[in-house]
Amino acid sequence: MAVTLAPSEVPPKRLRALEIVLALAAGSLLSFMLLCNSSLAAYGTPLFSSLTAHGVGTVVAGLTVAGLWRWRVRPVGRRGRAPLWAYLGGLSGALTVLATSIAANSPLALTGTLALGIAGQVFLALVFDAMGAMGLTRRLPSLRDLAALAAILAGTGLIIAARGMGA
Amino acid sequence: MMAAVIFALGGGMLIALSRQVNGRLALQSSALESSFWNHLVGFAALIAITAAVGSFWPDGVENAPWYAWAGGAVGVVFVAAGSWLIPRLGATMTGALLVAGQMLSGVTLDVLRGVDAVLWMQIGGVALILGGVLLARR
Repeated sequence: MAVTLAPSEVPPKRLRALEIVLALAAGSLLSFMLLCNSSLAAYGTPLFSSLTAHGVGTVVAGLTVAGLWRWRVRPVGRRGRAPLWAYLGGLSGALTVLATSIAANSPLALTGTLALGIAGQVFLALVFDAMGAMGLTRRLPSLRDLAALAAILAGTGLIIAARGMGA
Repeated sequence: MMAAVIFALGGGMLIALSRQVNGRLALQSSALESSFWNHLVGFAALIAITAAVGSFWPDGVENAPWYAWAGGAVGVVFVAAGSWLIPRLGATMTGALLVAGQMLSGVTLDVLRGVDAVLWMQIGGVALILGGVLLARR
């Protein structure tokens, strides 16, 4: 049940520099988030850390949404409510911590868990793009996209291995 | 070991799944609202899981430094950014660029904190990632 995008919403074919910079900035926040959350997990448990992060996140996001409500922009050309299942993304987010903390406590350790997690994430993302899953635009990666992906993954592998082999 | 590999791969797939679903919600609300629902629904699920198998106040957790409690606020921005990006860049490039940013800041943090690692591999990794990002620009 793909929902067609209004013309004004159709994503541009070319990746725009702004979007790339924003993605890199958001990704770099993740290192700080993991530093915070893993510190709380070390003093408590991974489950408690995720519970707290989601609780704090609910309050912060709720206050921000409420504070900005007056200036809310209605999505163009998309009338009506999203289907109920679209509200359940948080469920798989909550299960993530269970899966990764079990894996991190195995011989895979943090390094192996991180590397395999990225592999799993990219694999499923490719499948989702090819299918146009969940009503998002279907798209097949170009050769150039695949080359970019390969370079980023190779660099990521080197960096993860560099940490694993230090000490 | 096989089970651990499946859990590790599955953890990554769950991240891709939640980003896809949150991105779909953002199309009919907003990136920030989808981040709110993501955290609220996840919080409810984690309360249920904690009630079943965990503790609502593990011993010693009061000794954690202040910043340990701040991860959730950063997460709000991260999830909102993912929801905003995924309809624009697609799931694959969104995921790849978020990982790229994570690695670049991770290396910076490691170097600043003096974490032991093989320097030439870190430099090579950064160079490859920057090359990949330039390729993605088209």
